[in-house]
Amino acid sequence: MDESLRQVIFETFSDVFEKMFFTFLEPLSAVPASEQVGDAGKFILAEISYSGGNNGNFCFYFPWELAKNITINFLGVEDEDVKLSQIADTAAETANMAIGSLLGKLDPKGQSSLAIPKARELVDFAPVSLSADAETCMFNTEFGILYVKGRHE
Amino acid sequence: MAFNILVADDSETMRTVIKKTVEMSGVPIGEFHEAANGKEALAILESNWIDVILSDINMPEMGGMELLKAVSANEDLNRIPLIFITTESSDARMDEAKKLGVAGYVKKPFQPEIIKSILYDVLEKAYEHRMVDMPADENDDDDMDF
Repeated sequence: MDESLRQVIFETFSDVFEKMFFTFLEPLSAVPASEQVGDAGKFILAEISYSGGNNGNFCFYFPWELAKNITINFLGVEDEDVKLSQIADTAAETANMAIGSLLGKLDPKGQSSLAIPKARELVDFAPVSLSADAETCMFNTEFGILYVKGRHE
Repeated sequence: MAFNILVADDSETMRTVIKKTVEMSGVPIGEFHEAANGKEALAILESNWIDVILSDINMPEMGGMELLKAVSANEDLNRIPLIFITTESSDARMDEAKKLGVAGYVKKPFQPEIIKSILYDVLEKAYEHRMVDMPADENDDDDMDF
């Protein structure tokens, strides 16, 4: 992924996360030494693709705590009341808004069409392969590292 | 003087957030209906009096653009203003929506104030006589914190 695309992704995603979820993203070029990326944990994976003028697909790997807190902020529900279905739906909608906004910049003539986003729980997932992947963008948040792997053609 | 509102969005989360935003806007709500796609929205429109539709564009089975076409082509329904709340923001898509008679457009991600402002504009144009009866403090309420 080239640097100019990474920059547009960061600016776009930061706007979406701050405006909708009051969550701040800090771009990372490498995983901090304190992070145990080899350890498996619970994640929510949200996937979305587009086709038409441009083709692409993006996978958002939300650490469980980040996905849960985004949902709590978005829906205004209490920690103990939030359900997995709400967390998955919010993650899917986040991917939809983030990539929809990104396409608005990358495809201003609107020739590409977004597919319906999907989200699911990953129970024992270790992001070690993602952290070394050249197509992955990493963002530090208050609730762990958000990994976004994608391609845009 | 309350307004019956229909929200069409395949995301239950988004429908909840839009409902909360509309409630906080001060617009008097009568009935609030929810649909997960355009097809469900049309079924609700066939059997309920609806004053305004807030719809996503990108939905499974029947999208917002098809819903707008169906509403515009129906003599019983084309009086109902439809506002898009969507990530689809290209000029081409919006030009198409304008030609089909969309009443307003809110781009996701949105600030609650934007929905409030556009909803008021659209309702005032469509139902001026009913908006006159609304309490002034509701019209002037700009505080919409979640």
